[in-house]
Amino acid sequence: MASPLYRIESDHSRFREIVRGRIRQDLRKYLSSGELLGRVGDGVVSIPLPQIELPQFRFGENDGDGEGGEGQEGESGGDAKEAQGQGAGQAGDGEGNHVLEVEVDLDDLADMLGSELELPNIEPRGARQMESEAGRYNGVRRAGPNSLRHFRRSYKNALKRTIAAGLWDPENPMIVPEHDDFRYRARRVSIQPDSSAVVFHMMDVSGSMGAEQKQVVRMQAFWIDTWLRRQYKNLEVVYIVHDAAARVVDSHTFFHLRESGGTKISSAYELCLRQIHERFAPEDYNIYPFHYSDGDNWSARDTELCVNLLRDELLPRANQFCYAQVKSAHGSGQFKKDLDLAFMDQGHVVTAGLDSREDVPESIRLFLGSGR
Amino acid sequence: MRIKTDLPSVLKYHALVIESAARDAGLDFFDVVFELLDAREVNGIAAYGGFPLRYPSWRFGMDYERLQKGYDWGLSKIYELVINNDPTYAYLVRSNSLLEQKLVMAHVYGHADFFKNNVWFKGTDRRMLETMGRHAARVRKLVDEQGQDRVDCFMDLALSLEGLIDPYPPSREAGSRSESGAVLSERRLHALLSFGNEEEPKPAAARFAADFPVADVLGFLMEHAPLERWERELLSIVREEAYYFAPQRITKVANEGWACFWHSKLLTGGLLDSSEIVDFADTHAGATAAAPGQFNPYKLGLALWRHAERAGQDLFVMRRVHNDVSLINAVCDEEFVMRYHGVRPSDERRAREAGLNWTEWRDGLLAQLTNGGQPRIRARSCDTKSEGELVLEHLHDGRDLQLVTAKATLDNVAKIWGRRVELHSQVAAKPVALAAENGKVEQVELSA
Repeated sequence: MASPLYRIESDHSRFREIVRGRIRQDLRKYLSSGELLGRVGDGVVSIPLPQIELPQFRFGENDGDGEGGEGQEGESGGDAKEAQGQGAGQAGDGEGNHVLEVEVDLDDLADMLGSELELPNIEPRGARQMESEAGRYNGVRRAGPNSLRHFRRSYKNALKRTIAAGLWDPENPMIVPEHDDFRYRARRVSIQPDSSAVVFHMMDVSGSMGAEQKQVVRMQAFWIDTWLRRQYKNLEVVYIVHDAAARVVDSHTFFHLRESGGTKISSAYELCLRQIHERFAPEDYNIYPFHYSDGDNWSARDTELCVNLLRDELLPRANQFCYAQVKSAHGSGQFKKDLDLAFMDQGHVVTAGLDSREDVPESIRLFLGSGR
Repeated sequence: MRIKTDLPSVLKYHALVIESAARDAGLDFFDVVFELLDAREVNGIAAYGGFPLRYPSWRFGMDYERLQKGYDWGLSKIYELVINNDPTYAYLVRSNSLLEQKLVMAHVYGHADFFKNNVWFKGTDRRMLETMGRHAARVRKLVDEQGQDRVDCFMDLALSLEGLIDPYPPSREAGSRSESGAVLSERRLHALLSFGNEEEPKPAAARFAADFPVADVLGFLMEHAPLERWERELLSIVREEAYYFAPQRITKVANEGWACFWHSKLLTGGLLDSSEIVDFADTHAGATAAAPGQFNPYKLGLALWRHAERAGQDLFVMRRVHNDVSLINAVCDEEFVMRYHGVRPSDERRAREAGLNWTEWRDGLLAQLTNGGQPRIRARSCDTKSEGELVLEHLHDGRDLQLVTAKATLDNVAKIWGRRVELHSQVAAKPVALAAENGKVEQVELSA
């Protein structure tokens, strides 16, 4: 018998093809809805595809709603709820009501994004060899957390010791393990080289940036990270927020913080530069500063300072600088004009206007379309 | 099609030793053929329901992905895979230790005995390996003729309805099905194939001369729905395979329990080296353990058989006649439920006071396992006068249907039936009817 695998592999690739087709169909929708942002796990994003599983009569809850109104399949309210249940428990499959969630590698998603927006691959600039760890739990050691305890080995050690000590009683075969008997599973690590990059997401959080503006930024940042992560094995992301002063924050703060007050953009650029000096040497990292703002700056003088910082300090170290201007009720949008004017013939500065969510794909294309 | 088997001699030796121990213990089975495969190959075969050769469908690819992911992440691993066939085929995973292989082999002889002797398997096709191969060839041929997309599309409809069969056919029917249903005779196949080619449909009254209610809804559709010949053939393939697998669904607990009972008895009855005892205990405990709130048919089944053994019942007769529901009904008593929950005799009163009611627990279990855990749905009537509207009814047992999927499924029934289809059920203790027609499904008022 030939390998039994070639048939299942052809069925499997057909399944992946169907999944990919569905996702690609919906990619534009995902690009401007932010739906996938909450679904990212370790290297994968799980996408609910309720329409792919074959429907069968089965038992289940109906949210107390027996009336009509949920005629269309894939009604959003019910789906979201079921999807959550699935994510939390992953309980015994086949039973109960669950929407099929297909896990897609972020790499695959990036590839779909790439082909949808016709993005070129990036030529890495510096190629420092980062070392990353890859490993499997295939070793045993004498210390470790209880969750990794190797019951069988521990028991056998205890059994051997008990018998050797003459304490074994076949009538009452009780084994009491001691500290030295315990064994734990251990991870064996192998080192692999990596090329690396760092992304700076700098966001204006002054009073004029509202929730919708931040959501647009968030979506944009997600897709940019997804794409760059596909291009570089090791991607670090630094979040910087600024109003009149700048600071480094974690991603949660980045996306939820709401400040008020003035805007001094140069503070963010200075902080970014300091980070590059301290942590991300340009020889070792490909550097991508992104800045999001509604375009109001404190003063023309600060804008001038920004331009100088960019020209003299940031650009020589970065692969490309990107500025996305979100439209807000109060913003003048002056900063983009200033940047455009100052760097008219500079391909390494890319600016884009983000009037609404629908502009996200286009601005991603602008930012990443150069292949730098 | 035959699987060539060449086990390493060590495994062959143990297979022989275990086989003779099993026969000595009174087990009775067809020849068992073991095949050694690596984990990925076993996952591939498991995705096909245990058969190396099945018709192509993306759905198997989906199952394969799930199995393979579980394996890659170390969450789940298939130890054993055995198919009901004569000879009985079983797969051993190459990466298993020798002890694990011995355990699996003993386990497999338990299954093989159950397959051969349990009455619910009586009508199953014992040449299913060949039958599956034949189905695969037919479907591939139809793909060539009709195109992949059309076949896929119809196959998705048919597979969506594969649960609409009667897993408890009266045994006389089960016997005759092996001739008329499970293995299509030439004459019957011919009759089926020519059915769709008749130019004028017969008058409605004559067409639906079925004895309602019909539990075998899929069979009813196959005979009476206005299908093209190739569609009818696909439907009959899906139905035949569904009937082949149905007994495994309704005897899961009994069958797994029986296999665990015997692997434990045989191995600890002298087939294990003393150095293997601890490993055996660990592996066995791993297979028959359940986290709180989790349902493990291995654990329940093993406990049932052991309880029956303690009660001095004739186990071999029981394994001949019982499915899950009847076995639980026959074996389960208060003592069993207390033991199963780890309650010591001295604590029983306290457990009762804390709300452990053994009849309630048993009844819940029975409801959960009835009809293989799926809602019971049958065809109630078919309007012979007008357009031929088909009415299905859900035999409500206290659990509601999930309406969103029920609507989607009913829509598929209507697509095959080609006319209006209704489903009568209950939701939140109120009668509810769904109607599907022309791709639209709506909830309708029940005319009293």
